[in-house]
Amino acid sequence: MLAQQIVNGLTLGCLYALMALGYSMVYGMLQLLNFAHGDVMMIGAFAGWTAIAALPAGLPAWTRLLSALVAASAASVAVGLAVERYAYRPLRGSGRLAPLISVLGASIVIRSGMALITGGRSKAVPTPALLGSGQLAVAGIRVDAVRMLVVGVTVALLLALDFMSRRTSLGRRIRAVAEDQEAAAATGVPVDRVITVTFALGSCLAGVAGILAGLYFTQIDFYMGFGMGLKAFVAAVLGGIGHMRGAALGGLALGLAECLGVALVGPVYKDLIAFVVLIVVLLLRPRGLVAGPSGRSA
Amino acid sequence: MGSRSGKRLERSVLRRLGLAALVVTIGAGLALTSGCKPGVLKIGAAGPYSGELSKIGLDSYNAIKLAIDEINEAGGIGGRKVELVMGDDEAQSSKAQTVAEKFVADKAMMGVVGPMNSNCVISALPVYERGGLVMITQSGTNPEITESGYKVAFRLCPRDEGQGGAAGDFIVNELGKTRVYLIDDKGTYGQGLADQVEAKIRSLGVEPVGRGQVAADDRDFASLLTLIEQKNPDLIYLALPNPSQAAALIKQARAMNMAAVFMGGDGLKEKDQLIAATAGAAEGMYVTAIGKEITEVPEAASFIEKFEARHGSMSIFSGQSYEAAKILLEAMKRASAAGKMTRAEVLNQMRTIKYRGILGFEVGFDGQGDVAGAMIYVLKVEGPDFVPVKDYPAEKPE
Repeated sequence: MLAQQIVNGLTLGCLYALMALGYSMVYGMLQLLNFAHGDVMMIGAFAGWTAIAALPAGLPAWTRLLSALVAASAASVAVGLAVERYAYRPLRGSGRLAPLISVLGASIVIRSGMALITGGRSKAVPTPALLGSGQLAVAGIRVDAVRMLVVGVTVALLLALDFMSRRTSLGRRIRAVAEDQEAAAATGVPVDRVITVTFALGSCLAGVAGILAGLYFTQIDFYMGFGMGLKAFVAAVLGGIGHMRGAALGGLALGLAECLGVALVGPVYKDLIAFVVLIVVLLLRPRGLVAGPSGRSA
Repeated sequence: MGSRSGKRLERSVLRRLGLAALVVTIGAGLALTSGCKPGVLKIGAAGPYSGELSKIGLDSYNAIKLAIDEINEAGGIGGRKVELVMGDDEAQSSKAQTVAEKFVADKAMMGVVGPMNSNCVISALPVYERGGLVMITQSGTNPEITESGYKVAFRLCPRDEGQGGAAGDFIVNELGKTRVYLIDDKGTYGQGLADQVEAKIRSLGVEPVGRGQVAADDRDFASLLTLIEQKNPDLIYLALPNPSQAAALIKQARAMNMAAVFMGGDGLKEKDQLIAATAGAAEGMYVTAIGKEITEVPEAASFIEKFEARHGSMSIFSGQSYEAAKILLEAMKRASAAGKMTRAEVLNQMRTIKYRGILGFEVGFDGQGDVAGAMIYVLKVEGPDFVPVKDYPAEKPE
């Protein structure tokens, strides 16, 4: 049973990791806790659901899944960029508190807007119809199609992002702006555009996390971003906020801690365990699991 | 002109001045208390109108609004219009208290429908009691609501013992299940209901195989279900207030090929959010309902027609909410007829009221404010519908 819980934990951890990356990238660059990130994820879930529901059931499942992923990322990027443009950019350079409050406001606007649009109703994601109900069982450990999809997509995205960050000129620019905005600007890096791209990348990952979460949980509602956003924030801090590999690691660690906690301590303590793990890790390693010498490097 | 007539003149002037002053004072008083609309009576609607339970909340609000509109179309109460004031508590105890303070401070406020969530009712009750303002909850089932001695508390739904007792009896005596696992959401409603079901099945000699908890915003149940699978239950009882959360849990359990029967409380009796959302996975599930399916009550036909014309399909507490508003309005009518349009008189009238509306039985309240004569209905999910399978008189401990 522990092995099964590890599978559960890794799957959940993948979703946390995808979300935590967006948190971490934006924080690493702007020292802004983007509390609208969870709601950007929720938008992705609804956009993906809409794509699945709108396409005829006769189409092959992979076409519908792919359109859902594309729609989710596109919608989340659009909303994420709107948050950057209207809730963050006008307040850049006015301290840390004002943008934080403004982003919290954006979060409320997005969430309440979706509540109005959906009338508060949740939507069911027809996971079995898309992915079948088959599952691989190896030595008593069950892995079904949706888990494989979540883990597969996450691993692919994490590897691509890691490569982008370390090997491409865009990655270098992102790291440069995160390191020192003024110095980056002085050497000709278009800071504004790099910030926009960072928001877009983070939102895209959140959108993918949204539709994957929808497929995995099978139900989505306008409120889903709140809890997930909070967990992703914990994961980002756990891994060392501002650090991309740290965010991925933090997400996986948090997912594992929750699922193993349910198995070993009891379901009533699921959330408690997550936060105890956070406190213990921060006591031992105040900069998170993975931290560079400066404590923040993208 | 003698001094006597002078005095008389003086006196009559004084009298007129006094009268004018009185009129001004009363006028100003009325204008102050009823927001410049003299003579308007108010009813508060407290419930979760935003946040996670807003769907259920707003469907209830709309039903209350319908009752208010009807009475205004019929000329109001004693010629005075009734105004509905919305108080959103987001299902949170602290906000419910703030709403109660606002309602109590409004002198034109004569009664409140709601709050809907047990935790909200419990936290708001001391405030309503202090203001002497009648409060009738359409869905707060926790026993504590009417066990704490508050005089202003009324409830239109049976208590948790009613549902818990019926569900426990049904599980053991009708279904013959012996391996029961209970899940609650750590909330006042969920925990209270699960406690009552557990107490009943224990009293019938069945020891639950386990009990687990989920957080209200949890949608990932893989770890909990993996744990439950080890206990091999033949029935899983869901004491959850949110049908969408229950739908996620049921689908995830079925995806793991778990065969246990599911059962839940009144909060889950939602066609769209539970039956349609699970696309067949909830087939054969049981729920208890604290009111008769109002589609089967002939008197309810006109309400259903009006509601659906305005707002589309009803949800679980729409009928209860409408009835609660109607009962409160009836008490106000009687107070008005008795010539005393005061909070105290409305409270007085509530104590003795007998009202037959759309719920299919004559509603009255016992000394504690609990509804008398209510039944618990056990329903089974068959295809797209909830089909009644058995009913129980709502239990209440002596």
